[in-house]
Amino acid sequence: MKLTTKRAAIGGLLTIAFCGAAVAGPTTYPLEIENCGQTITFDKAPERAVALGQNSAEIMLLLGLQDKMAATAFWPNAVLPDLKEANDTVKLLTVEFPTLESILQEEPDFVAAMLPILLGPDSKVAKRADFADLGIPAYLSPSACTTKLDTGDAYGSRDQLWNMDLVYQEINDMARIFDVQDRGAALIDDFKAREAKLRDEFAKNDDLTFLFWFSSASPADDAYLGGGNGPSGFIAELLGGRNALDTKAEWPTLNWEGIMAADPTVIVAAQVDRNRWDLDKAENKIAFLKSDPTVSQMEAVKKGRIAVIGGAAMNPSIRTLYGAEELGEQIKAMDLSQ
Amino acid sequence: MTSKDGGAGYRLALLLILSLAVLALAIAAATAIGDYNIPLATVFHTVTNRLGLTAVELPRIEESVVWNLRLSRGLVAALCGAGLAICGTILQALLRNALAEPFVLGVSAGASTGAVCVIVLGIGAGAVSLSLGAFAGAFAAFAVVALLSNGATSGPNHTILAGVAASQLFNALTAYIVTTSANAQQARNVMFWLLGSFGGVRWPQFQLLGAVVLVGLVVCLLMARKLDAFTFGDEDAAALGIPVASTRLILFAVTALVTAAIVSQVGAIGFVGLVVPHAARFLVGPLHMRLLPAAALLGAVFMVIADIASRVLVTQQTIPIGVVTALVGVPFFAFILYRSRPQS
Repeated sequence: MKLTTKRAAIGGLLTIAFCGAAVAGPTTYPLEIENCGQTITFDKAPERAVALGQNSAEIMLLLGLQDKMAATAFWPNAVLPDLKEANDTVKLLTVEFPTLESILQEEPDFVAAMLPILLGPDSKVAKRADFADLGIPAYLSPSACTTKLDTGDAYGSRDQLWNMDLVYQEINDMARIFDVQDRGAALIDDFKAREAKLRDEFAKNDDLTFLFWFSSASPADDAYLGGGNGPSGFIAELLGGRNALDTKAEWPTLNWEGIMAADPTVIVAAQVDRNRWDLDKAENKIAFLKSDPTVSQMEAVKKGRIAVIGGAAMNPSIRTLYGAEELGEQIKAMDLSQ
Repeated sequence: MTSKDGGAGYRLALLLILSLAVLALAIAAATAIGDYNIPLATVFHTVTNRLGLTAVELPRIEESVVWNLRLSRGLVAALCGAGLAICGTILQALLRNALAEPFVLGVSAGASTGAVCVIVLGIGAGAVSLSLGAFAGAFAAFAVVALLSNGATSGPNHTILAGVAASQLFNALTAYIVTTSANAQQARNVMFWLLGSFGGVRWPQFQLLGAVVLVGLVVCLLMARKLDAFTFGDEDAAALGIPVASTRLILFAVTALVTAAIVSQVGAIGFVGLVVPHAARFLVGPLHMRLLPAAALLGAVFMVIADIASRVLVTQQTIPIGVVTALVGVPFFAFILYRSRPQS
């Protein structure tokens, strides 16, 4: 645990150092980037990048890099509406796990991955060596590697509340790699301003608790919920409240009796775009909350304090901030007094 | 009698040669087929270049795809098919149960627990990779089965029951660790990792599995005559002067080693260990000196073809290999059941 804290501290310092460098101007190549315990070298800005995973792709698109992207893969959620037009110009390999051959067929000069299962020693898609042997730099999201293990455990139970710093570090890394540091700095400034705006707008309210309902296999099953110190906890804290669950686990499961005992002020129903379970859809969640004879007796349900945000926000990503904004808009219209 | 034996021997030789030829063809096809469009000449020259027969200038990326991804994968698929088929054959003989196969003994459940311990709890983080964790878990399951079935002395049904109990125990442990400690992403990592797939296979897996499967096959062939005696029952085997307990233990250990090695490298792949031995028995009869090589070759061919199918059916992504082995294997199995029905 001490080690984790120490690493977190080092990570924080590095972030500050990187952010300091961001002001420095155009990238000089060859560029060396420290990434998950590895040094990756770029001789020039990538022209044919492949993004594995939604967050990696969306960061590139937010930086306006669609012309430099050869392909994307692995999209659990739909792309941000604002980015749809740009994303349509980039080839989609598959929304699921791609094959390494299909990635190499694009002749990439850079591969950025969101998760260790897409790029890592135990991945069945690709290992760093596969790209290194061909001289292709490969990057793994810092959110996925600052952990107990440098490779496996991405976001286990947290001792501290998650925040956006690792996302900012990833944006900054991408901006340096593609030599668009001004765009990167502008994007980070924009995100930080939006984060600060929410923090200003919503005063601390000790009575305000949020329950983040990601999904359930069926109404009878335990619900998958956003845990206390994860991105859901970050959203709750940003809006002046806290997560109704104290658990440090990132994705606790809980039965409805436990949820009723937690008695949240607001129930946040996630809209999950995949097509796995009926209750992935926010409208089905709301229908269940309102129709179940027991659950419908919760204060939050009786007083209509049910909000909807995109499910991607509950994963550590740029989407977390978008989710906070969506939720903020909705609770402004609610009467939050008990 | 002699003419019948000669006929069977001829049939076996023919089958082995035919299977070897088909296996070579299947691996060649596995090397030529894939998402990346590579001319056949490049595929051919990659292999001849690497074998030192030619020195043709080739695009580096295409050469790497053919050699590092496809050929290693085809060979490992063959090894896994052969290994699982051998394990199934041995277990069906030892336990005298037509449904026996490696996973009945809880080996894959144990491997899952081991993998979960590494991913979720970070046990041995850094030093122990996922594969090693899975390997340790698979062996732990085997130890539990051996312990539950009272060393290696009790009867075959006892061992199957112990296997069922071990499966339940390790599945429960996995579920407990995942629900109490894991987040959705870790659970997904575990599930993804456990689904059988040859996607992560490179040359090191070939070296490891090649050694393990070869040793397994040789040990089993050396004990082939003892295995024949087992099919009539432990008491008959003992009456024939076979040390029942030690033979059983050695063969279980070999099965555990081969299965654990396979599961730790490519995940759990069902059905091959169950179906292929029956198919081989149907073709060459029950004597293990013939049955084991036949099952190994059939298993190898079956797995290579199944892997090609898993890559080709949907482009740019892969269907889990277990889905394909079941889809191809079940009709085949039904056919064998139909053909071997008792004549009234």
